[in-house]
Amino acid sequence: MTIVSRQARRIAARAVALTAMLAPALAQDVTTIRVLNWQPGGPEYWTQLVAAFEKANPDVKVELETVPFDRYPSVQGPYIATKSGPDVMENNAGLELFDRRSAYVQLPEDVLAAASDLITYSGGCLNYDTTQPCYGLPFGYQGNVMYYNKAVLTEAGLDAANPPKTWDEMDAACTAVKAIGKTCLAHGMTGVFPAYWNFPEVARNFLTEDDMRAIMAGKLPWTDPKMVSILEAMASIGTTRGWINSSSPSISMLPDGADIFQSGNAAFASTIIADAVNWAAFGAALGDENVGAMRWPVLVADAPLAHSFSGTESSVFGVTPWSTKQEAAFKFVKFVAGVENANLLASVAGGISLNKNVDPNALPKSQALAQIQEIIKTPTLHVGVLLSGQEADALARGWQEVTLGTITVADWTAQMQTALEESPSKAQ
Amino acid sequence: MSLASVSETVPDEVAPGSNPLLRTIVKWLVSFVLVVVAVVALYPLVFTVLNSLKTRTGYAQNPLGLPVDISFENYVETFVRMDVPRLLLNSIITTGGGLLLSTVAALFIAYAVTKLRIKGGNLIFLFIIAMLVIPSQVVIYPLYETILDLGLGGTYQGLIFSYAAFGLPISTYMLAAFFRAIPDELIEAARIDGAGELRILFQMMLPISTPAIAALSILNFVWMWNDLLLPLVIMGGSDKTTLMVGVALLSGQYDVSIPLISAGLIVALLPVMIVYLLFQRQILSGALAGAVK
Amino acid sequence: MTQIAQSSSSGLSRRKRRMRPELILGIALVVPGIALAIVFKLVPLVRAFILSLYQTRGFEEPKFAWFANYVSMFKDPVFATSFKNAALVFVTLPVWIFLPLVLALLIFQRSPGWKAFRAIYFLPYMIAPIVVGIMFRQILAPDGPLNAFLIFIGLAPLAIEWLNGATSALFSLTSVALWSFFGLGVLTYLSGLSTVPDEVIEAARLDGAGFWRLLIEIVTPLLKPVIGYWTVLCTSSMLIWMFPLIYALTRGGPGSATMLPEYLVFTTTFEFLNRGKGAAIGMALFVFAAIVSAFVVRRMYAEGKASK
Repeated sequence: MTIVSRQARRIAARAVALTAMLAPALAQDVTTIRVLNWQPGGPEYWTQLVAAFEKANPDVKVELETVPFDRYPSVQGPYIATKSGPDVMENNAGLELFDRRSAYVQLPEDVLAAASDLITYSGGCLNYDTTQPCYGLPFGYQGNVMYYNKAVLTEAGLDAANPPKTWDEMDAACTAVKAIGKTCLAHGMTGVFPAYWNFPEVARNFLTEDDMRAIMAGKLPWTDPKMVSILEAMASIGTTRGWINSSSPSISMLPDGADIFQSGNAAFASTIIADAVNWAAFGAALGDENVGAMRWPVLVADAPLAHSFSGTESSVFGVTPWSTKQEAAFKFVKFVAGVENANLLASVAGGISLNKNVDPNALPKSQALAQIQEIIKTPTLHVGVLLSGQEADALARGWQEVTLGTITVADWTAQMQTALEESPSKAQ
Repeated sequence: MSLASVSETVPDEVAPGSNPLLRTIVKWLVSFVLVVVAVVALYPLVFTVLNSLKTRTGYAQNPLGLPVDISFENYVETFVRMDVPRLLLNSIITTGGGLLLSTVAALFIAYAVTKLRIKGGNLIFLFIIAMLVIPSQVVIYPLYETILDLGLGGTYQGLIFSYAAFGLPISTYMLAAFFRAIPDELIEAARIDGAGELRILFQMMLPISTPAIAALSILNFVWMWNDLLLPLVIMGGSDKTTLMVGVALLSGQYDVSIPLISAGLIVALLPVMIVYLLFQRQILSGALAGAVK
Repeated sequence: MTQIAQSSSSGLSRRKRRMRPELILGIALVVPGIALAIVFKLVPLVRAFILSLYQTRGFEEPKFAWFANYVSMFKDPVFATSFKNAALVFVTLPVWIFLPLVLALLIFQRSPGWKAFRAIYFLPYMIAPIVVGIMFRQILAPDGPLNAFLIFIGLAPLAIEWLNGATSALFSLTSVALWSFFGLGVLTYLSGLSTVPDEVIEAARLDGAGFWRLLIEIVTPLLKPVIGYWTVLCTSSMLIWMFPLIYALTRGGPGSATMLPEYLVFTTTFEFLNRGKGAAIGMALFVFAAIVSAFVVRRMYAEGKASK
């Protein structure tokens, strides 16, 4: 029994090997590159992206290796450790990319030239500095805004055309919204996402870009008064100010928190501008006419960055040093940053492209999207992506606990400082 | 859970022969407890099926109730997003391979240790079952490095070997315990008749131990089929990955649709359910007797 | 070995005659299993230990650092929390062992529809843990079906935010894991009970033995091997069973209320990219699992080793 099956397997293995050998012989001069990715923008967009690339580059075939985002490190990690695997890899921009730069080759001049059409690409370059080596090119823009449900604001007796601009106005709005029995700011804290995305929106009230660079370098301790102020403000959202749903510490933002907003039971939700759970998804659920997008309210009116947008490249694509097909791989990286992909991203995925030449007609018509386009015009660094893995984790867990009242802000601060000291990527 | 406390109301009055009314009441109480547990056991599945028939907006607006308009779009989407036949084939190959390999390896060891009594057999047995204390999460990283070193990354063999290795301790234990209960005289008699050891193993021991093999097959089948960590890491996102990884992929980085995932879960569950329904009698009645001797 | 020496003399002489081919066969039979265990479990474990002695910084070249990772591990309060939580999970072991036994006995008494109950109870076990996690995320949600039901039957005070408190979250997770696996226990016990002669139970009933007496005095001693087997399975697998649930439900939170060692290894290795420290925590978990499972493995060894 076993012998037969073993033989069968051997024969099958040989058949597979044979076809594998024949395939390239039949289709001559075609290089197949493997691209590790998590499909930002959804599968439909990726099918079209690969088709468009292969059409433009008939000598290259793309084989996607798609891994769920939250499991991505467990697949990518061993590839990097064993110096083997895909030819092209996706990576979050910023600190995470710098941390893994041993797994990416420095982009050559001609590839980097493709970046000249991009609004920003510094997240692909060491220390957010385009004069330093760059390891990957981005294509989409990402960051957080507050979406609001105009119907709920109106129902609560608020002016839907003038959503809150300051934290005090937000306090008042929340009181009114809660009075009609609805959630003010739909929120979920499980996992690192919510902390990582909301932190910059609070931090901009206290930090300068120099401070942010100091955070990246691990030179600004969490015990610094500015940092403590940020944590205190974040804590107050769930405690003294009571903006959020009480279930927040134990539900996830995506989809649970977003679903509270989509169900029409909340006035506000703080989520991302592109990919999903964005203006398009909310418009589909609540009606485009009911969805607005605004910058997070301002806490410190005269803070220099309070009126900016914390934006980051959604992700970058780079070429691995172990790849034997780097020429073909670079073609793919260039294509991803190019205008053809920008139009696909806008029209198919509803994403916000970084390419300046994106066709305005490719953009869907949505008022919330128009508001977002305004908001992102004054960009600054995204301090969330400058946190180490340890810091982001401690931020998320601490926020849960401080909201539940099991620890104080002082405890949280101490935990953040420990996390910073434990972060290998920020070691001095 | 409250179950234990409910069943406490069943107690000593069960004295038979006493008041028949009391007996009836107790009988009803027992049935009631069993029904409550059954509802608890079934409800989550029903809930998932219901959710899979909702649209995304429909779910957000009404997560608990019955679907307003039954929609099969999630199922369509599941089949569009993942190559179900291919993933199914991959799952069958890897689970089947892992199952076969671990059973055969366990069968060999159990026989060598309990019936051949090879020198140091007990030490070998101890070594194998001691492997039980190495959880996959602890060694997943070096395990994958080892698999890559062997050139088995992204291959069926890599996953099959890993499944077999992780299924081995409990399989060996169950078979050894089962074999031990088979009288040595039977084997001695066969040996006197001139039967070779392999013939004894395959033509005598194998048929006798069907219940034990069935039991450990169910145990191993369920975890291998349902496992996410090993296939995800070993197969990465290659086209040789399993159905469970495919389902995990239905949620994007920021895009988690409970109705869509529910549909994917039902699709992944269906083959298991079919196996269960087809072999229900064998699974339920005889199979786990293997654990019992 | 003593077992061999003690076996019957006729067997011994025959064995002597067949020694060589038997030896070769014996080696051939144990090699595949040993190879699997060594290559795919022992070697990775040894590599994990070696890695735990290295300071890893992202994916840069690791540097040998003796026991620096262990020092950092013991200083980490989350590490202690995770093992405290693991111990708390093990405290529920009696429930895992006896709840299925009680249910099996109730079914075994041939209550009406017992076949259906038997089939239904086994169903949850077939459902992938990651699926179970996602299902229960919805069910345990603050305004999920469980709370809706509790409020409906007038138990509103019990309708708590199940995953929103330190103790309730760990308790809820353990309950979900129990939901997932109790059916396997029921079935295991049922097959054990089917070997108990009806007369024994009938005699006990005629004796006027109540349910609990039947359970404690008659069934439990008779089912000792089955209970042992089920205990082995639960003890060795409980933490492994919890992992996907933590992943889908709480990510170890709120705070680190549901952080278990296995999940900590996972986050340290893959989220913090600190492979060295992850491996160190993994070694600690290995030692913990080895201690907890020592009696289990001893028992398995006693049951399965060459007899007499």
